[in-house]
Amino acid sequence: MVTSAGRKGPSAARDKTSGESSRAVQLYAMVARIRAAELALQRHIADHGFGGFWHPGLGQEGVQAGAVAGLRSDDYMFLAHRGLGYALAKGMSMESLLGDLFGRTIGSTGGKGGGTVHFCNPELGVLGQGGTLGSSFVLGAGAAISGQMLGTDRVCAIFFGDGASSRGTWHEAALQASVWKLPIVWVCENNGWAVSARFSEQSPTENIADRASAYGVPGVIVDGQDALAVYEAVSEAVVRARSGLGPTLVEAKTLRIRGHYEGDRQKYRDDIVLGLEVPRDPIDLLRRDVPADVADQLDEAARLEVENAFTLVLASPRPDPSIIFKDVWT
Amino acid sequence: MTKQQEAPSTSTAGVSTINYAMAINHAMAEEMRRDSRVWLLGQDVGRMGGVFGVTRGLLDEFGPLRVRDTAINETFIVGAAAGAAMTGTIPIAELQFADFLLIAGDEIFGKLAKWRYMHGGQLSLPAVVRVPTGLLGGVGAEHSQSLEVFCMHVPGLKVVLPSNAADAKGLLKTAIRDPNPVMFFEHKGLYRVKGEVPDDPEFLVPFGVAAIRRRGDALTVVATGMMVDRSLAAAELLASEGHEVEVIDPRTLVPLDMDTILESVQRTGRAMIVHEAVRTAGAGAEIASRINEELFFALDAPVWRLGAIDTPIPQDPELEQLCIPQVAGIAKAMRGLIAL
Repeated sequence: MVTSAGRKGPSAARDKTSGESSRAVQLYAMVARIRAAELALQRHIADHGFGGFWHPGLGQEGVQAGAVAGLRSDDYMFLAHRGLGYALAKGMSMESLLGDLFGRTIGSTGGKGGGTVHFCNPELGVLGQGGTLGSSFVLGAGAAISGQMLGTDRVCAIFFGDGASSRGTWHEAALQASVWKLPIVWVCENNGWAVSARFSEQSPTENIADRASAYGVPGVIVDGQDALAVYEAVSEAVVRARSGLGPTLVEAKTLRIRGHYEGDRQKYRDDIVLGLEVPRDPIDLLRRDVPADVADQLDEAARLEVENAFTLVLASPRPDPSIIFKDVWT
Repeated sequence: MTKQQEAPSTSTAGVSTINYAMAINHAMAEEMRRDSRVWLLGQDVGRMGGVFGVTRGLLDEFGPLRVRDTAINETFIVGAAAGAAMTGTIPIAELQFADFLLIAGDEIFGKLAKWRYMHGGQLSLPAVVRVPTGLLGGVGAEHSQSLEVFCMHVPGLKVVLPSNAADAKGLLKTAIRDPNPVMFFEHKGLYRVKGEVPDDPEFLVPFGVAAIRRRGDALTVVATGMMVDRSLAAAELLASEGHEVEVIDPRTLVPLDMDTILESVQRTGRAMIVHEAVRTAGAGAEIASRINEELFFALDAPVWRLGAIDTPIPQDPELEQLCIPQVAGIAKAMRGLIAL
């Protein structure tokens, strides 16, 4: 069945009487951990610089936590480049992610990282992130084919931004995946900016989800600041994919608080007040469904986790130069 | 009975006389029977059996989940192969022409070649990308190139160029079993050339082992793909003139069996590389450099290279042959180098 782009609002997951309030707490816990890491990285880079580029995901934590919560632990996932929330939510440890960012052996890539890196943990289904934006569309289709061929019911989630949606890889993958009914969920974080280019200057339609009908797949628009709404939309798409009905395009409307990279002065922007303030903060939205004392405790736990992880990672060793020659071949 | 079994072949004592295309077909069919994780995708590989007929019968035997006809989407074909390879299956991706590998450039050079390395060895990419290469006769500048050196230049890809039917089968079977990504260059002009091919399903030709096609002491010629037969024909002309030329077919450019080449050049004191790819910055430049670095004082003459001239390939079938080495031209160069 083909449906046109439709808007998703919060429903059952928000109903505290349904027993789903624990979902809000779980999402809050994850959003708080991502936020704590984002803020700590921002401070660290301001104070000490960084051996590369960090593309902050501040303000987009709700999409990342909500969407990944809709996946099963063994589902495949290709990340986007904005932050570490996707990988953290999929189950990778704070230490392994920060280890990658700071190029330490404790990182998931064993020290091959540094700067914006390619978090990877195949056992958790985390398959990496295309350094050439938009390349994950075709890779993800391949993972979905493997899932089909090996007789599993694994789904592949592919995260991307509004900028990457302009790639030809999207067109090729969307067409073929739809025809083959591959078990895929495309999760677009539309934050309105592709580096310095406004989305409205790059798209003739208001929504990326509007394109879905051309590929014969459902296009769903969801408030990306509302983690519960994202969770619901993605969960529905995952059910559809797992049952063999094919891919769904979920467009989460979010916003980019910081620059394209940390340190980007964003002189091209006039749409937000630069700084720490997060308009329509996913944390504030979730707090409506989480008791204040529980939320406060989770904030503190997240802050401590990040503080400890930073201490551990920064004290852990850099790789031996011999790593340069490792893993070219199997 | 599948179409491929109906294909004409003669069989004696475990050897069948089949053409290069059918040898490749048999390699895929055997490996797909052996390992259910092996599958195939590409334009027209299913119902049509491939634009060059290489995949005939495979859809009938293995079904549409394992033999997938794609749209015109080279980026998808190789990208999906990369994604599937890193998640436990073994894809064979067919591009209709080697020229199209540039359409899937990021997927070949960025993903297949690098993703194991970038991710600390956590991913394996056991994909094979089959690309029909070289001149066919009148297919023009965008369908005639020999681009193997691109793949040789980017670390992380194995590069294979079979020059005959038996090697095509044995090398492709090795490629499918290799846990690394393999770029497999099939020469379009060789598809219909028959040869004796072992039937043994365990017949494998190892990578990195050059074949000495002809023994000689006057000159070492290193030739690839279509140029192997042409160099052998030229060597016969030289033999009638009293000069025995050694002809070596490296079979794989990555890994490259320099030991066999260097051992030969040490004996002959002269070396020439012949390939169909453009001479400028071709694989021959690399091989010549390595010979110079290792054997400078053993050489009696400079190392020469023959290859295509620095022009696109014209569409006209007669003109196109003027762009690449011919038997007469190779023989002339052999005489010239021996006379130095």
